[in-house]
Amino acid sequence: MLQRFLDPAVLAGISGLDLVAKTVVDGFISGLHRSPDFGFSQEFAEYRSYNPGDDLRHVDWNVFARSEKMFLKRYRGETNCQVSVLLDASRSMKYGSRGMEKMEYAKFLAASICYLAHLQRDAAGLIVFDSEVRQFVPPSTRQGQIMRLLHAIDSAQTGAETVLERPFAHLVDYLRRRGVVVAISDFWEDPETVIKTVGPLRSRGNELILFHLLDPQEIQPKLKGPMLLEDLETGAKMEVSPDYAHHDYKGKMTAHLEDLKSRAAGANIDYFLVDTSRPLDEALRQYLAIRAGRL
Amino acid sequence: MGFLNPWFLGGLLAVGLPVWLHLLKRHKTDPQPFPSLMFFEHREQSSVQHRRLDYILLFILRMLMLVLLALLFASPYINRLTPKGAGKKLVVVAVDRSFSMRTKEGASTRLDDAKAEGLNVLSKLSPGQPAQVVALADTLQAMTQQTSDPGELRGAVSAIKESDARASFGELARYLRTLSESTKTPLDVHLISDLQKSAMPAFTDARLDQDTDLTFHPIGKVQPNWAVETVIAPQHIYDPKRARISATITGFSAPAATRTVTLLMNGKTIQSKSINVPENGRGSAEFAGLDQASYGFNRCEIRIDSADSLAADDRYMFSVERTDPKKVLFVDDGRRPQAQEYFRAALNATPDSAFQLEALRPDVAATSDLSKYAVVVLNDVAPLPAGLEQSLQKYVSGGGSLLESIGPASVALPRAPILDEAIDGTQYASREGERFFSVSDLDTGHDVMKSVERFDGVKIYLAANVGAKNSRVLARLSNGTPLVLERKVGEGKVLAFTSTFDNIQNDLPVRNAWVPFVQKSVAYLGGSGSGEPPANLSVGEYVELRTGNEKGAQAEVQDPDGQRVLSLEEAAQARNFELTREGFYEVRTAGGKRSLVAAHANRKESDLAVIPQETLDLWKGTGSSGPVNASGQGTGGEGNTTPWSLSPFILLLLLGVALAESVVADRYLRPQAQPQETKAA
Repeated sequence: MLQRFLDPAVLAGISGLDLVAKTVVDGFISGLHRSPDFGFSQEFAEYRSYNPGDDLRHVDWNVFARSEKMFLKRYRGETNCQVSVLLDASRSMKYGSRGMEKMEYAKFLAASICYLAHLQRDAAGLIVFDSEVRQFVPPSTRQGQIMRLLHAIDSAQTGAETVLERPFAHLVDYLRRRGVVVAISDFWEDPETVIKTVGPLRSRGNELILFHLLDPQEIQPKLKGPMLLEDLETGAKMEVSPDYAHHDYKGKMTAHLEDLKSRAAGANIDYFLVDTSRPLDEALRQYLAIRAGRL
Repeated sequence: MGFLNPWFLGGLLAVGLPVWLHLLKRHKTDPQPFPSLMFFEHREQSSVQHRRLDYILLFILRMLMLVLLALLFASPYINRLTPKGAGKKLVVVAVDRSFSMRTKEGASTRLDDAKAEGLNVLSKLSPGQPAQVVALADTLQAMTQQTSDPGELRGAVSAIKESDARASFGELARYLRTLSESTKTPLDVHLISDLQKSAMPAFTDARLDQDTDLTFHPIGKVQPNWAVETVIAPQHIYDPKRARISATITGFSAPAATRTVTLLMNGKTIQSKSINVPENGRGSAEFAGLDQASYGFNRCEIRIDSADSLAADDRYMFSVERTDPKKVLFVDDGRRPQAQEYFRAALNATPDSAFQLEALRPDVAATSDLSKYAVVVLNDVAPLPAGLEQSLQKYVSGGGSLLESIGPASVALPRAPILDEAIDGTQYASREGERFFSVSDLDTGHDVMKSVERFDGVKIYLAANVGAKNSRVLARLSNGTPLVLERKVGEGKVLAFTSTFDNIQNDLPVRNAWVPFVQKSVAYLGGSGSGEPPANLSVGEYVELRTGNEKGAQAEVQDPDGQRVLSLEEAAQARNFELTREGFYEVRTAGGKRSLVAAHANRKESDLAVIPQETLDLWKGTGSSGPVNASGQGTGGEGNTTPWSLSPFILLLLLGVALAESVVADRYLRPQAQPQETKAA
């Protein structure tokens, strides 16, 4: 039943991105994922021996009074992780063969991740880019941050072609604090260029997750006959045959995906291919797994 | 080569459609958006070349389909020379055996001469020549199948027997058309007949197919003939002294003569009269008083002295049934004495009435046995004495019939007796501001209303206002008040007249419609209506044996020789029976009704006048006009150019091309197996 609400086609029928995000996250996780880290909540976790340099405020003085040994009292609680979502708004994201554009799917995914981060009390931020950085919401845990994020996601429009170098050069400046960087894009670029461009984010100690969003028709085009195709980003037209799309294109695409995946693994970047015909929970599960591993 | 519908060739203009589809429309391809052409290669040339080749084949097939379709509608044909008489013809020998063939020609009859001529024709056939013998009367009887056996053919001619039916050359022509169509063989027909004028139908019915050669073999010559043409006799005799029979004697191609006409009844001569028959004219004889008629069925016959060669039409048989008249009870309380007189006068208006009126007062009628009366008439009697209404109710429910007049006396009753319809006062014409009412609506399909001539001129001054909730209204006044109503009560019937039977409240009794109204009403109610089947018919007519309601009941027919003619299956199922010869037939229908049916030959056969030669030439001309020798072989050497349609071949070709087009089009134009389509958002 819950799975049904994670179906992109079902989500497309829900008005309001906040409601979509809530539906996805609440549907995916029944109960908040508990952080394995310790923080400032009231739920006791364990005692640890005091080491010089520890904050004296965390010493349990009642124990010290009874045993004359200093122990620190530790609690389960939220972490102070910073999550930055990079949303590609290039023209190629406007494509969709099943009634839903990739951009729409990407918005759902970004909103869900932001909402999930908000529930975990992580500081979430957003950067919308195409050939330039179009919108920037700095990561924060302030009141009303989630609404700012959702509004920014909702108002994102597809614009120019994808040029990763320019926006990512600026992104390095924006992301000064280490955290998790989630990039959602169709990455219509050479894999080497992609990794070379996003690699610097990883080098700053960030956990980098690449959500590679592709429509099923992009992965395996099914043409009903020879037809004229127009590139959404460049406007170039090309006569293609179904035979080519069935065989040659498929091989090239598979090689491209394998190349990107292997290069990402080589750069210690988490890569996840998202088929827009599949439910959102797979992507969310991937995010949470990485999020947990990082902390 | 030609075209039957050349204007359909205009459809060839439609060839422009595939030209437009294939050559002009093809290049208008809308580009389909795609995210990135990063992994596509430019292969325009190969794909377009491939498609062009495919579409040229489809284009040719579609063009061909349109051309063939236009040609098919234009119905092309070619003229083929068909050698006439190239093969053997089928010889058909048709021998007339109708009633007129009984005419004597010297020592033999015309049928004997016709059979001899038939044998003569057969003797001239070359060995192996296929032939067929048919006997002609009102229907055609094939005496043999197509055969080359001379013995069988000669035997068939010898076996032809005389008939009492009339000849119909229309039947012969219809058979020849069917034979020509089925055998696809030219026919050589030899018609051996006295060629009576009366046997010739309308020319459209006598039409022959083109390859049919008709040769006439006239038999006999025109002779004077006197015949008993018609006899008018009552089917039932109630009072033998008042019964009358008239006979018409006709002379065909005959001089003026005096003929003796004799009436025979059950084999006994009753009366004889001499009458003068003018040249080619008619004389009539009338016989009155049939005292010797016995009760039941009588076999009667009008006969004239034989003075011609066709003796069979000198007598005319008919049947007469003697029975007692049925009783009609007229219940009258004496308040309207004229009504009874008018009613009696109308009932006895015919010389031999089937009904006898008996008048009783209501109190006497109440104690009488009503079952012995065919009809009971209530003459505006109200109130009914105790016991009479119950008796009437029982009588009608058991199958009796009641005719009641609802006048001023009956208006005092809340409901009409037995009819059981509400009475709501009366309608006075003067009170309504009119001088009188007239009849405006009449159910002329009803037996009672058939001869009343719409009650023309009848003035109704007063009528009871009777409801018609459960009754059928047969006549209605101009103000909508029902005048005549009918209702079935149990097994019986009630007929109500909403005025009186005297000339006080209406003037019907002194109008022409009065007598037929009374007689038809009583006949309808008494079971002697017009539905009774006739007892005197012509040969070839049918006797009805069942109406369809008598399931499983047996009918029975005995022919003039006293033999049962129906098989068990026919007796249980046959709806009618055809009279095939002259004489008396004893018939018992499935409903149990017995009758004696007299059959006589159709008197058109008595006119021996021959078809004019011009008419025969015209008839012959409807078939092939080439001379044919008696051996049945065509003269040869001549040829007919007949149009030969190419449509079947074009149709086959069109079907083949359509099939090929479907295969080619399906191969290239159908959607992919998985219907997912590339679509721009």
